[in-house]
This record gives sequence, structure tokens and C-alpha cells, in this order.
Amino acid sequence: MTNVFSRRDFLKLGSITASALALGQFIPPSVAKAATELGLLDSNGNGYIPSMCEMCVWRCGLLAKVRNGRVVKLEGNPDHPHSNGKLCPRGQSGLMNTYDPDRVLTPLIRVGKRGEGKFRKATWDEALDLVAENMLKIREQYGPEAMVFSSTHNLSQPQFENLLYAYGSPNYGTQRSLCFNAMVTAFLLTYGIEEPARNYDTVEYVILVGRNLMEAVSTSETSALSKAIDRGAKVVYLDPRFTKTAAKATEWIPIRPGTDLAFLLAMINVITSEELADCEFVREHITGCDQIIDVMKDYTPEWAEQITGVPAKRIARIAREYAAAKHNAMVHPGWRTSNFINSFQTERAIATLNGLSGNVLKPGGCLVAENPEASGITLGKPSQPPYPRISALRLDGVPWKYPLVPFKLGVFQELRDAIISGEPYQAHGWFISRQNPIQALPDRTKTLEAFAKMNFITVIDISLNDSAWFADVVLPEASYLERYDPLYVADGKIFIRQPVIEPQGDAKSALWIYKQLGERLGLSDFFQYEDEEDYLRQQLAPLGISLEELKEKGFVEPEIEKPETDEIVFNTPSGKIEVYSETLAKNGFSPWPTWEEPAAPNDDEFYLLTGKVGQHTQFATQNNQLLHKYQDEPRLWMHPDAAKVRGLEDNDLVEVTSEVGKVNIMLQVTQAIRTDCVYMTPGFGHLSKGWTTGYGVGANDSVLHVTYTDPISGGQALSQTFVKVRKGSSHD
Amino acid sequence: MTKKSNKLQYGFLIDASRCIDCRACMVACSVENNVSMKSTRIWINGTGVVGDFPNLSRYTAPFHCMHCEDPSCVSACTVGALSQDENGIVVYDDDRCIGCRYCMYACPFEVPNMDLTEQFPLIVKCDMCVARLDEGESEPACAATCPTDAIIFGEQEDMLAEAHRRMEEHPGRYVDRIYGEHENGGTSTYYISPVPFEELGFPLAQEEESPAHFNRLVTHGTPTLAAGVAIGMTGIYLTIKRQKEDDKNIDNPVHDEGNMEE
Repeated sequence: MTNVFSRRDFLKLGSITASALALGQFIPPSVAKAATELGLLDSNGNGYIPSMCEMCVWRCGLLAKVRNGRVVKLEGNPDHPHSNGKLCPRGQSGLMNTYDPDRVLTPLIRVGKRGEGKFRKATWDEALDLVAENMLKIREQYGPEAMVFSSTHNLSQPQFENLLYAYGSPNYGTQRSLCFNAMVTAFLLTYGIEEPARNYDTVEYVILVGRNLMEAVSTSETSALSKAIDRGAKVVYLDPRFTKTAAKATEWIPIRPGTDLAFLLAMINVITSEELADCEFVREHITGCDQIIDVMKDYTPEWAEQITGVPAKRIARIAREYAAAKHNAMVHPGWRTSNFINSFQTERAIATLNGLSGNVLKPGGCLVAENPEASGITLGKPSQPPYPRISALRLDGVPWKYPLVPFKLGVFQELRDAIISGEPYQAHGWFISRQNPIQALPDRTKTLEAFAKMNFITVIDISLNDSAWFADVVLPEASYLERYDPLYVADGKIFIRQPVIEPQGDAKSALWIYKQLGERLGLSDFFQYEDEEDYLRQQLAPLGISLEELKEKGFVEPEIEKPETDEIVFNTPSGKIEVYSETLAKNGFSPWPTWEEPAAPNDDEFYLLTGKVGQHTQFATQNNQLLHKYQDEPRLWMHPDAAKVRGLEDNDLVEVTSEVGKVNIMLQVTQAIRTDCVYMTPGFGHLSKGWTTGYGVGANDSVLHVTYTDPISGGQALSQTFVKVRKGSSHD
Repeated sequence: MTKKSNKLQYGFLIDASRCIDCRACMVACSVENNVSMKSTRIWINGTGVVGDFPNLSRYTAPFHCMHCEDPSCVSACTVGALSQDENGIVVYDDDRCIGCRYCMYACPFEVPNMDLTEQFPLIVKCDMCVARLDEGESEPACAATCPTDAIIFGEQEDMLAEAHRRMEEHPGRYVDRIYGEHENGGTSTYYISPVPFEELGFPLAQEEESPAHFNRLVTHGTPTLAAGVAIGMTGIYLTIKRQKEDDKNIDNPVHDEGNMEE
């Protein structure tokens, strides 16, 4: 039963908090005082404060409407390139993340068994001392490599990494290998950049390889694609599921899972064999131009038809249409493509097709081969000594097992497995900040096993997510509306995330927490900033910009002299787009984009698909009452023919079993999926009863996911899990 | 019947070809207007997934109060809780609402609703974020945040002109109907759609005349009728009471008094 917190209660709670503040404080809260001095709030405490969203990683600019110390509405900031004045449903719901009645507002120390959810409140001094004491003990007894650190894409990550490297551990688990390793590794090897930017201004032809932009909403990009469609751009969308993006596409191709690579290779075959790309032009900038026709000759549309189930004629037509659109065509790099072990090759084929269209080379082309975040702006940082030298092997196998995986990407699932096996050495402590390995990693049973191996687990978060529920110490972070984070650079502007209200309870910023912990670990020299504002001032120092100016507008645009050059040089060994990669050849992999047969389910099994919904971010937002209010019930999608064979009907309770786990979930019989696939919305089925809204809703996909790692990029093959479905007998 | 004032008339244009069913409008509306977690002022109407695999389609469009030019709900409201302001916005005063639900029955678009779990449920409906507009914002919360501009807001005439412009610019993209232009005698919310509105689940509203006129006959007549009934019933009650008092077997004669007098 979900505990629904009505908006009326929400207001009541607000007045209680406000009066408590009024009683306990004689000076006005510093956030309101500063905002009033800057002219953002009037004398009654009413006005708008600019900041940045953190409901996903897109970082939209926002304007927070503040009334008497409370944030009452969030608007998109029209001056921010990621929001352009808009916010998605998650962005709009952001204040419910801050005012979640399940917020943890004091440090907690576990008193019951792990996973029982019994904690006692503690002071910051006691909790931080306890964490530092355990981290020092582990370093002394087993070496710094016995501490594992985990965090996910966020603005305070540089200081998290500072703590990790200063402490001296090589073991760092991020979301990267569970998300975009294949894409980033492929584009680094082919273009020398991590992630090319997309430009929809003149796009005429877009191929989306499972990139569900209408549900995985990235406000400005979703908006740009929508405008392109409205203008008449063609969108070809490959996905085994009829998603909301499929509904907007010109053509939806319900391709067999894992075979997108064959479709793309056949496109390369048609474009090269029919000489539809301008080879003289491409020759200048692409390696292997002379051999590519020959190398791709077997990948005919007829060959691809056998594998993908898409008619050869259709593939050939799309290849010709794509080529005809020249640099106004793009194949979207996506994040995770088809989620199979061949995802790296799929991304290499995507990189190749973009190279052939010349879209990265022409002005106004649809793919931008430069890092849009850098924009020539170099921020300052506090001075610090060099990090200690790390000699221990990384538990995630980089590079000794995965030679081509970039160091910063890592292989999180491998790290988890090494914790369980104790090979090549045993880890004993886990420091987690804004991460939720129990939900994030495939095979939850294994992750819980890894947790059980730990002597000490610390989690920093704003509420008791599943990982916090199993932690020994929980440190309450201030929400993104209550704190500063390090600055963010996008499109030649510097943006700020600043508190728009006071932190509730004893919640503190990550910048504060890392510094406090650093000092207790004897690492003060690595945290040379007085407080959050001092950190930001040191970042701004080289640019001669005041923090006040930034706080007032939410952004500044420093004057940067950009070197003008017509020369196109890619950051690869050859300086060209490396369709042929010597680096891959030297490491024993195919130097060309190459077909790799993906695993397939048996006749009585389904491919298990997962994929985003517009109302949630991964597994992080299911406790947000506003999103809960407007979400669809998370059910298992199945085609009516497949359901009929199994005697299943809509809304039946079904039991889904994979090689590693089993869940019960309600069935949704729908035409919107292939007969050989089932789909479930990820991020439900939480274990933590500290989430009173999210607990008990839906089933958990991580329980079912089997761990498969791509040997080149280290990416987790998330869709390479096959399941059996039968009528369920009872609820979990 | 139109009661247009000289003031600026506001309106919406909602384009089903652009809606991606992300629900940002719904969340924005809930926050802006402090809507309870159990009720809503805005829905997503849609076709659902239509057709047989792989020939499928799906269209959606946000749906809220149409802000009729001659609103049936206003005419049905006996206590003046609903009214039309000078900008054509159908506004609502919950201090006056008695929860009678006449407006729910009167509205041909099935817009007014209530949270029946509340002890004293009151009507919930879109008021074009009138308080927000009064504060100087240029758009209601839904239109302001829509990532694909499926909802736009502005002068009513401009919205209608834009609807026509889109239909002319893209022949064949939309069905030949602007929903809201004539429905219920004309509204301030215009919809254009690639599929017939019946398929989107829109109330048909085939009657082009607003039933407001007939409603007014009823609602204006109701107080008189109610007073008459009350007087009559009181008379009956008093008669019975006197008879019962005469009859000395009655224990508790006032038990139903309240109900009788109502």
C-alpha cells in the first residue's frame, strides 16, 4: 500500500518547517539573505533563483520560484541551452525530490542487521568519525585498494574522485560500463572523441538505433528532434518495441534484438559498393577508404535480411536515402544501442556511417566532433599535492583483462564479481555516493552477495535507496535545490547550481562531506577550500568573474578567443576518422566494423528488454510522489500471440524466470512488441522500506539480468538476458 | 450567446502530432496549482496502440478545460462558484463550491472532477493558471514547460489562426477539423490532430449549441423550486410533528429534522 502524501499535507509541513525556522533562528537564513542582496528575492522572500536541475544527467537550467523560504515551482531557464525554458516531467517534479517525506535529514548509523532498516540518528561528528575510522583501519590492514568507491555522473564527482585518488584506491565503480562504454570506446577509437554532439538544425534524415528520445527525454534534444520531425525530417527508428519514439518516426523497424549491427553493415555495403559516398572527399579524412568496399562486400542486404528479419529491399532503400541526404543525415550514436555483446561493433558501424555521410566534416553537419562542454573555458581549482602512486591491480580488470577499456570508464560489473571471488585480492570496504549498485548492476543477488562481503559500507544520498538500506552509515546529502556543486560549462557559458532554499535538517553538500572526511583521513591538503562558495570562487579566479555575478544570472559567458582553423584533425593516431583502426588490430581485435553473432533465446524463452519511460530516471525517482502520480503501472509487455500460446491474459500475474533470478509481475498484453520479446520498465521493485512511495511497486529487472561483458569496451550486454514466463501463483 | 468582452481573450492550441505523452504538463499543473495527489486538472487523451503488429500507430494529446465561450458549467452552478472572467477564462472559487457536482453533469467535455477520498470533495478544474497569469507570467504552467510545444498559449484569435496556418502548410497531416472551434458553441481551446478526435477519445460534443441556455432555465429556476419544496416540506413536517406530539408514543421526533428541512 502506497503512502500518499497529499499536497495539502505538503503545505502543512511547509508551515511547520517555516515556523520551526523562525523560532530557532535570529538571523535570516543565509540563502535567502544572499538572494535578497542580489535582488533575486524581495523583502518578503519571494522571487526566482536560477540554478540547475539534477533529476537526470542532462543538466537543464532552471528558475526556482521561492516563496518565504520554500521552493514552490520550477521553470526551465530560457538562457540555458539544455532547457531553453522547458523542463521535462522529472524536472517539473524536482521539488518533490527535495520535499520527499522520506528524506534522510540526519546521519544514520545501522543498529539492526544489514537490510533490516534499523538505524539510529547520529551527529555528523560521530558518523564521519566512524566512517574515517573504518576507512583508515581498512587501509592499514589491507591497503587502500581494499576500499571500493562508487559514484555516478554528477557535478561533485571531481571531488569524489579527489577523495578516491588521494586515499589511494584504484577501485572505482561508475555507471559507465552499465551504460555507454560501447559508444564512448567506439567513438574514441574512430573519432578520438568521447561523444559527438548532435545538431538538428538542418537534419533531413535521422536513424535512431534504439535511441528512444521521446521517452528518454533530454529536454533540448527531444525538443530539437520533435521540431525536425515537424519540419518534415525523416526518422527511421530501430527497436523491437513500439515506443513513443516509434509512434513519431517515419518508419519503425521492429528489428530482431541484437542484430542492428547487421542492418548497419548492410547499409555500409550498399553505400560503398554503389559508391554513394564521395570517395575522393572521404579519402582525405577516413582511413581504409581503398579497402572498405572489399571488406564490406559480404554484408549484403540479402545477408542482413536473414539475420535481422528486415527485407533486403528496405535496407537498401534506407541506405540510398541516407546517402542522398549527405551531411544532413545522421545515425544517432545513442547510449547503449542494442545492449548486446556486439554493441561495440554496432557503435563502430554507426561511427562509420556518420563518417561516410561527411556530417562531421561539413559546416552545419549533424554530428559535431568536438567536445561542446569544453568550449575553450578552463576553470581554476584548489591547489593540491600529487596523488599517491597506485600499484595495485584494478579489480575491474582494466587494463590487464580489458586492454582497450578507457581507464575512466572501467567495468563495474567485473569489479562487483571480483569482490565476490576475492580475486586478485579481497575488497573490504565500499564508499558509495549518489550511486545505487543494488539496482544499477545486473544480477541483484550477486550484488547483495558482494555487499555481504564488506566489513563496512557508507552511502551518501538524500533518502534510503536500496543501497543505503543495506549500509552501515548513511550520510544525508542536501538535495540539488539546497546546495552548491562545482560549476558546469556548456556552450561557452559557465552555469551554477546554487542553493535556492536552506538545506533541511542536517543535510550537507557533497563538497562539504568530502572535505570533512578528507580531513579526518589526513588528506586535508587535497581539500584546500574553506566552504562551497570558496571552492567556486577558486574555480572562477582565473577568469576574473565574481561568484555574485554568476549567482545573480545563473550563468556567465566569458569572452574566449577561439582559434579559427579550417583544418580538420581528429584526435586519433592517424588524425583521420579511423574506420580501419590499427589500435584494434594491434590488440587482436578486428580493425574493421565486423559482424558478431549475438546470443539468441530458445523457443520457449523471450529476449528481456528494458528501456526508459518519460516519467522516471533509471531507479532513482520512483519515490517521487509527483512522478508516482502520473506514471504507468509497471507491467510486463507481451505480444497477444505469445500470451495466447501460454494461456495468459492481460493483467494476469506472471512469473518471469531468467538464468539468475525470478520475479512476479502483472502482464500487459500489447501489440507494441515482437512476439519473441518481453519488456519491463527498469528501476522498480525496490527493497528499501525507507521509500514509502516506491516500495512494493512493480518488479525489479536487475534480479533477472545476467552479467555479460563485452571484451572490447567492457560494456554490460543488458539485453542479453533470456526469460521464461508462466502464470504466477502469488505476489512476491 | 457569446459574451466576449473587449479584454484580451486567451486561448490554447494543442497539436496531437507533437505530443509525446511525456506528462510534463501534468506534473507542472499539479505543482503550480497545488492539486492533490489524488486528483488532476489535466489528462492525456489518446488512441492507445492501434493496429496489428507491425502496422501500429499511437497518438496522444493533453486535455483540460476547453474554456467555452458560453460555459455550461457556469450556467449549471447554483452558487456562483464557477464564472467566466473578462479574459474568457472559466474560473472557479472553492470557497463558494458546495460539491453538488452539477457542473460535472453539465460539462459536455467531462472536465470538472473531484477527489472523492476527500471529506468535503470540491471541484477540480483547469483555470488557465489565472493566478500565475496575474503574477505576470506569460503562459500557464502546462504550455510553458511542454518540451515539444504541443501546447501553446496566446490570444484566442492567434491560436485559431495558427491552427489554420498549420493545416494549410501541411496538407494531409491533420484531419479537417479544429476541435473546439464549434464544439459546445465555441471554446478557447483548439485542437488539431492527425487522427479523428473520436479515436483520440475526445468527447464527441456533436451538439454545436451550448446547452448553457437550458441549464440556466434549470439553475435559475432551482432556487425558486427548492424554496417552494422546502416550504412545502416544512409544512408537511410541522403537520406530522403536531400530529405525533399529539400521539404520546413518540420518543425522538427531531431525528430526521435536518433532512426534512433540506
